[in-house]
Amino acid sequence: MMTQLLLFNVTNGLIIGAFYVLMALGLSLILNLSNVINFAHGGFLVIGGYIAYTITPYIGFWGALLLAPPLTAIIGLAVERVLIRPLYGRDPLYSLLLTFGLAFMIEDGTRFIWGPQGKPVTIPAFLAQPLSNDLFFITGYRLFMVVVVMIAVALLFLLLRYTRLGVRIRAGTLDLETVAALGINVGMLRSLNFAVGIFLAGLSGVLAAGQLGLEPTMGTGLLMPSFIAIIVGGIGSLPGTLIGGLLIGVASGVTAVFFPAASEAVIYVMMAVILLTRPRGLFGEEGMMS
Amino acid sequence: MTSALSAEGLHTYYGKSHILHGVSLEVAEGRITALLGRNGAGKTTTLRSLMGLTQAREGKITIFGEDTTRWPTFRIAAHGVGYVPEGRRIFANLSVEENLKVPLERGGPWTIERIYKLFPRLAERKQNRGRQLSGGEQEMLSIARALLLNPRLLILDEPSQGLAPLIVREVFRIVQQMKAEGISVLLVEQNARMSLEIADDAYVLDDGAVVYSGTARELAADDARVRALAGASAEEWTLT
Repeated sequence: MMTQLLLFNVTNGLIIGAFYVLMALGLSLILNLSNVINFAHGGFLVIGGYIAYTITPYIGFWGALLLAPPLTAIIGLAVERVLIRPLYGRDPLYSLLLTFGLAFMIEDGTRFIWGPQGKPVTIPAFLAQPLSNDLFFITGYRLFMVVVVMIAVALLFLLLRYTRLGVRIRAGTLDLETVAALGINVGMLRSLNFAVGIFLAGLSGVLAAGQLGLEPTMGTGLLMPSFIAIIVGGIGSLPGTLIGGLLIGVASGVTAVFFPAASEAVIYVMMAVILLTRPRGLFGEEGMMS
Repeated sequence: MTSALSAEGLHTYYGKSHILHGVSLEVAEGRITALLGRNGAGKTTTLRSLMGLTQAREGKITIFGEDTTRWPTFRIAAHGVGYVPEGRRIFANLSVEENLKVPLERGGPWTIERIYKLFPRLAERKQNRGRQLSGGEQEMLSIARALLLNPRLLILDEPSQGLAPLIVREVFRIVQQMKAEGISVLLVEQNARMSLEIADDAYVLDDGAVVYSGTARELAADDARVRALAGASAEEWTLT
């Protein structure tokens, strides 16, 4: 019984961790290249979820899964162009305050459009089944989510390592001025990078909607742990963010078995311990992909 | 003689500090122009102004017939200006090969394969990270990166800084080779004597203003002036 409980919570932790990873990777991309701490990232997750909810009746779950993230990215691109771009080069506090306000606007905006009540998102019936009687807590959908996150993360790493766009983004996190002097439109580079980050938030939104249902406030709950995933993994290191996200997910899952009241607090304790012993985070060093 | 670049009356500031006081200079097409001067004379600031990295508050910059004074840096580079910054500024965490993938692909004779032929050492170390390279290799990489833009004008800021004499000679030979390929060159150097050996034209900058302009040969013959320029430079070598 104990083993099963433990397994249940570790699995749960891994799944939550996978969400943190998707969110935190997007946040990290934007932070590394543009020095913007995007407090509205959770808001974009919500937008992704509600877009999926709205279009599912017309194009089905699979269509929504494919379409909602790029639509969210387009909204993100518009926000970046109009609101965030004028703040580049200023103290990061400006963009932090702007996105902080934006998060509230998105939350109230979704409440205004879709109402304050939670909305269920229908997932295909075969994904809703548990895998087996023993592993009743692992539904097909949970496994599916983890696989989608793994594919998204793998594609992101391939993009950053093997495409010119990815190499330029990584170069830009090290020295944006030199990238510009090599003929690259860094404004465009920042926009594309922002769009990639928001795409990941939109994808988390669709996946989360299928698992947890939709609420205007759901983004806020995932945002703080995602920031902690970045700090634990080490600012500037995307592999660190990946491991940080999974680590805090599992830590919180395991704590839920032995000391349920502390399952949320444990990630903050973990962050404090890591910062005290290794102030740059687990994999923190200059630049990413290190 | 047509000019690749001309700057008229540049005034550049860092905050409230007035650094350039009306700098005017011209780089003739297909020639090497040396911009010399002691430490703090304003050489790097001049180059940064030309590249749009620190925009001049007054003055006019024309590059290949276009008024680029208010252009953003990337557009100036995409117009055909390769820039090798002071201190090389290679991307330390990226491999050599990745460093070479950053520049805009403008089309032209320079490809990564050709770069590897010109700099076999970079080909050998293409999987190494930038930070693992020696100073000379980093300089080669910085020049290679600028060449991949297929520039018509190459601007180099102190390429000999911190390099062993043998490597400096190699760098200067490459600069001469670029001239032979038809690339116009603006070379900022503290190593006056050696620069004047390969340059056609020369300017001397002092305290943010041009104090000499003429041919490199005339300046080289003015021993007292060259010695004054070399005063702040720790080492001086010749090409031969």
